[in-house]
Amino acid sequence: MAEEKTVSRRSSSASRKKPKKNQIPFGVTLVAIILVIGIALGTKSPTLALFWVTGICFGAILQKGRFCFTASMRDPYLTGGTSLTRAVLIAFAITTLGFAAIKYGYAAQGLPMPGMSYVVPVSFATVIGAFIFGIGMVIAGGCASGTLMRVGEGFHMQLISLFFFTVGSLWGAHDFGWWKYHVISKGKAIFLPDVFGWAGAIAVQLAIIGLLYIAAEKYEEKRKAE
Amino acid sequence: MKEVVLDCFGEACPVPLVKAQNKLAELEVGDVLIVQIDHSCAMKNLPEWATKDGHNVEVEEVDDGEWEVIIEKTK
Repeated sequence: MAEEKTVSRRSSSASRKKPKKNQIPFGVTLVAIILVIGIALGTKSPTLALFWVTGICFGAILQKGRFCFTASMRDPYLTGGTSLTRAVLIAFAITTLGFAAIKYGYAAQGLPMPGMSYVVPVSFATVIGAFIFGIGMVIAGGCASGTLMRVGEGFHMQLISLFFFTVGSLWGAHDFGWWKYHVISKGKAIFLPDVFGWAGAIAVQLAIIGLLYIAAEKYEEKRKAE
Repeated sequence: MKEVVLDCFGEACPVPLVKAQNKLAELEVGDVLIVQIDHSCAMKNLPEWATKDGHNVEVEEVDDGEWEVIIEKTK
């Protein structure tokens, strides 16, 4: 403990420490504004109000939870820590169950399943695209949600990321038709429940996530031992 | 015992982490590295890495959205 005392007696920050402003009034005002806008949107369309509320909740959770998809892929290499990697895997496991429940609910009643337009062909384009996205998000310091969250926090450098993220998305959307016709449609669309059945699909997906979780834990132990 | 201040204001993660890792490698045991950051993401991975690596770590919020991560090299 003695060394910690010497640490806290250091000189650097003591001089530039300012008295902090009380942030509670700002918080209360913000919540009031959010509520007013939410009610205003709700009178126009309940869906808009729902988007407003879920968007704000999502942002607050991302910010407070320090949840970062970029870090989940990058930190195992840089720090040897896999806590975020495992958090992402748990999130995937939960969404697997949630989406399966929603889709099965529709399928069981013979209704068209929602979100089936996201079942797209799998090919090497998926692998290459994921790899490029991985490089990009580590250099930009955040994926889409992370960049938005940090701009909201006031980290101005990532406004540049956001700008080029928008430019890139527009460019991608502009050329997407060509890629879809010439590359993506060459692959085969796989919907796991068609292959393994509903229970089998959930079991296979959860088993893979579970194995990745164990691998992440073992990797962290190995890195710690070094 | 030396005290080194590393200015990482305005740097997005993982830059503060990599800079701190490199700087800490140059220091002697017992030296103190103070990393100044204003990127909330580095607030998580920097202390996490330093603790895992076995150093003494302390985080102090010096201003709204500005932190100092104080790392004492122990090995």
